Amino acid sequence: MENLLRYAEKFFDEVEIALYRSREVSTSVELNEISMASTRSEAITIIRGIKDKRLGLAIVDSDEPERVKGAIEQAAKMAELNSRDENWVSLPEPGKYREAPKPNYELKEASPDTLVEKLVKAIALAREKDPHAVVAGGAGGVSWEERHIVNSHGIDVFQEGGAAYMYLELVGRKGEVVTPGIFDFDGRRDLNLDVEGIVERAVQKVKWAYSVKASRNEEVPVILGPWAIAGLFSYALLPAFSGERLVKGTTPLLGKVGEKIASDVITLYDDPFHPLSLEPVIADGEGVPTRKNVLIENGTFRGFVWDNYWAKVYGTESTGNGKRDLRSGGINIGFHNVVIENGKRSLEELIGEIERGYFVDGFQGAHSSNPDNGNFAVTANPAFLIEDGEVKGASVFLVAGNVYGLLQQASEVTKEQTVMPFMNTMTTPHIKFEGVRIAGK
Amino acid sequence: MEALERALEWAEENLKAEYIELRYEDLRKTTLGLKDGVFTSFTGKLHRGVAIRVLADGAWGFASTSDLSNLEKKIEEAYKLARAAAQTKKEKIQLAEIEPVQDFVESKMRIKPREVDIGEKVGHLRELERLLKEDKAVKSVQIRYEDGGGRKILLTNEGTEIEWDYNYLYQGTYVTGKADGKLAMVRDSIGSVDYGWELMTEREPNEKVARRLLRKMHSQLKGVAPKRGEWPIVAGPIVVGIIAHEALGHLAEADLTINSPFKDLIGKQIAPEYVTMSERIVEGGFGNDRYDDEGVPVKDIHIIENGILKEIMLNREYAHKWGMEPNGHARAESYRYPPIIRMRNTVFEPGDHSFEELIEDIKFGYYVVDFRGGQAQLNSAFQVGIQEGYVIRNGEIAEPIRDTSITGVAIEALKKISAVGKDFGLEVGFCGKGQIAFVSSGGPHMRFDGGILIG
Repeated sequence: MENLLRYAEKFFDEVEIALYRSREVSTSVELNEISMASTRSEAITIIRGIKDKRLGLAIVDSDEPERVKGAIEQAAKMAELNSRDENWVSLPEPGKYREAPKPNYELKEASPDTLVEKLVKAIALAREKDPHAVVAGGAGGVSWEERHIVNSHGIDVFQEGGAAYMYLELVGRKGEVVTPGIFDFDGRRDLNLDVEGIVERAVQKVKWAYSVKASRNEEVPVILGPWAIAGLFSYALLPAFSGERLVKGTTPLLGKVGEKIASDVITLYDDPFHPLSLEPVIADGEGVPTRKNVLIENGTFRGFVWDNYWAKVYGTESTGNGKRDLRSGGINIGFHNVVIENGKRSLEELIGEIERGYFVDGFQGAHSSNPDNGNFAVTANPAFLIEDGEVKGASVFLVAGNVYGLLQQASEVTKEQTVMPFMNTMTTPHIKFEGVRIAGK
Repeated sequence: MEALERALEWAEENLKAEYIELRYEDLRKTTLGLKDGVFTSFTGKLHRGVAIRVLADGAWGFASTSDLSNLEKKIEEAYKLARAAAQTKKEKIQLAEIEPVQDFVESKMRIKPREVDIGEKVGHLRELERLLKEDKAVKSVQIRYEDGGGRKILLTNEGTEIEWDYNYLYQGTYVTGKADGKLAMVRDSIGSVDYGWELMTEREPNEKVARRLLRKMHSQLKGVAPKRGEWPIVAGPIVVGIIAHEALGHLAEADLTINSPFKDLIGKQIAPEYVTMSERIVEGGFGNDRYDDEGVPVKDIHIIENGILKEIMLNREYAHKWGMEPNGHARAESYRYPPIIRMRNTVFEPGDHSFEELIEDIKFGYYVVDFRGGQAQLNSAFQVGIQEGYVIRNGEIAEPIRDTSITGVAIEALKKISAVGKDFGLEVGFCGKGQIAFVSSGGPHMRFDGGILIG
């Protein structure tokens, strides 16, 4: 890397080289059977150079020095053709990194046989617990990544690590009823995937879904599960914390630092070092040290997150939230592991107290939410009707509203917390919201 | 090419595989991201690698690599993966027979994006941004442009040998507007695999794209909240397209059909006889191609023909399972992925009503023109966010409506189609099914008397 950096410095005022080497083994399931075992190995090198305030980027699917040199020249050509960005200040300087958790090297050498074995067990278990259920889809995988980022200001950070995941999609068919696809998931930094837990939770939801209950227009308590929360918040809420949107005036949180934007039970922060995090990174995509950034503390909005570029434009410091976009090579403001703090009581206890309400496992259409104002209109599906403290069956309904309104209605968070590697990885409990207006169908 | 052929020969001699497929790509891509006057990505990409798929003992193994130095070893790795997966398999995978093809697929583009000077591309994006920002209500503009071109080669041990001169371009524009304290966000996308740079200058010039975006934005800013409920709905080509794609098309992908209500409906009347929905080559279609990634010629199919559920999309594996002919729907995003069953261009076919006829007797209803995001479940329950829509009052288009969504169960809504327009429109986009695919969807204006809930 040293030699490549020296080579690149000939072309630019300042330059960064980021190398990503990854290996993934995975096994997929279709219709109760293993359908394919795969492996993917790749190296990607990204060059980001600035010459005379002109940015040039290049990506090459390789770590061979000759091809990387070719990419450096390509980036230099791009920079020459780009126009000046008068806002450009500089690439980041080295910082002080936290001590990384020790990588789990068993993940580096994981074999597909391990995954085949776990999935076969999961299929058998699901079929045994519910003969009417089909394991429509699913997969297990183990990924390992090495990242090395260097820049001409002295940043030189190497990190490595991996994660394992498994998910199942069950569809139940009983009489006339075909349930929607019911998902469950586990992700962790070792190979001890909770096969029994995934199956148990999925089978439970399928069982509930066999009984179809009509929904109606009403205002009721609603418990959102981790998948529903990750989906809705990723689109309707999280973009609003971006410093870039503050600079551009397109966040509804403009001027609201210190204000109450949620009920007391909501504390939300970004922290790659949370015990459940799948990627405990010490540095972000441009080598800036990561840290715990509190966004909402007991309902009060605490501040925005920044990458190097927008922080310097605004006159503040990066919060270590520069995420590399491997498709364009650029850096965007993003999150590592958004955590919603958990509570004291279990999901079961919360359900037990509801006379009439719903438990929502997933939302459809969250990606049509509007992050500029927090408006959303989504379909709750799979969703389950709760009556007299018990789940009575599956239901589908529409929820249209505003995420900030919803945050004020939060009344309790559960003890259990789950990591959801959705668009942004989120670690979240179930959250109960009071008086949610729903449209039945 | 020689290295690929050598590796394939080695594998044929040394491995006991039923099928071996090598898919090589060598593409140069350009990505430009313009965000409020600043190019945040200005990227040249060199994208090269091989996808290896092996069928052995009735199971699939797949390996992808960007390291071309030892392909034999990588094929062997895929072979071993197939053997590992095969150990647990009760039903062995078999492939429908095809005639191996040797062909060179030429690009239809008049001006390939890679022949266009990057300065011109930059100028084009900046002009679009300027046109949009002339409108005082526009707060933020983001434009993502990408093009790519190069070689793609497919080689199999059955003798298929196809080379593509593969090219594409795409532009997505996102505008945030603000007026009277209200914020609105709208998007627009154009792209093609058959039209080259001429798409940007002749078919979809900046003025046209800007006009479309500003119309959508102002309709949002001035929009009133719709009355929640089930009203007569006239849906424009872009909205019927997303219903065709999300709520019906996915059910007709053979790997998903098996768990969907379509499984028991093939051959049955599921819509009025004036409704036909196809998966076909369309002029300007983003999913157009001559062969799929298994080397099967792409065929036009009617998913719904005169109201009857007829055909589904197949790859070779599912064609064998269903005892049908493969029809060219196995597609892979890139060498990093194995091909899976995907849509290409999913459209409702035009009927014979004029737009005026569709709305003239509606006392109160909604006209939905464009969407932002759509999603569906395998029971065909769909949810589509609406970014442009209007009230229909006394047979006329009235005030716009703001951020809203429509939901329904498509196989129910199909029965409520009361009239099909004679026009036709298409929108290009991406479909995510674990992998990204270029797709189009569209159709004529269509009227639904019930079956769709708004608000």
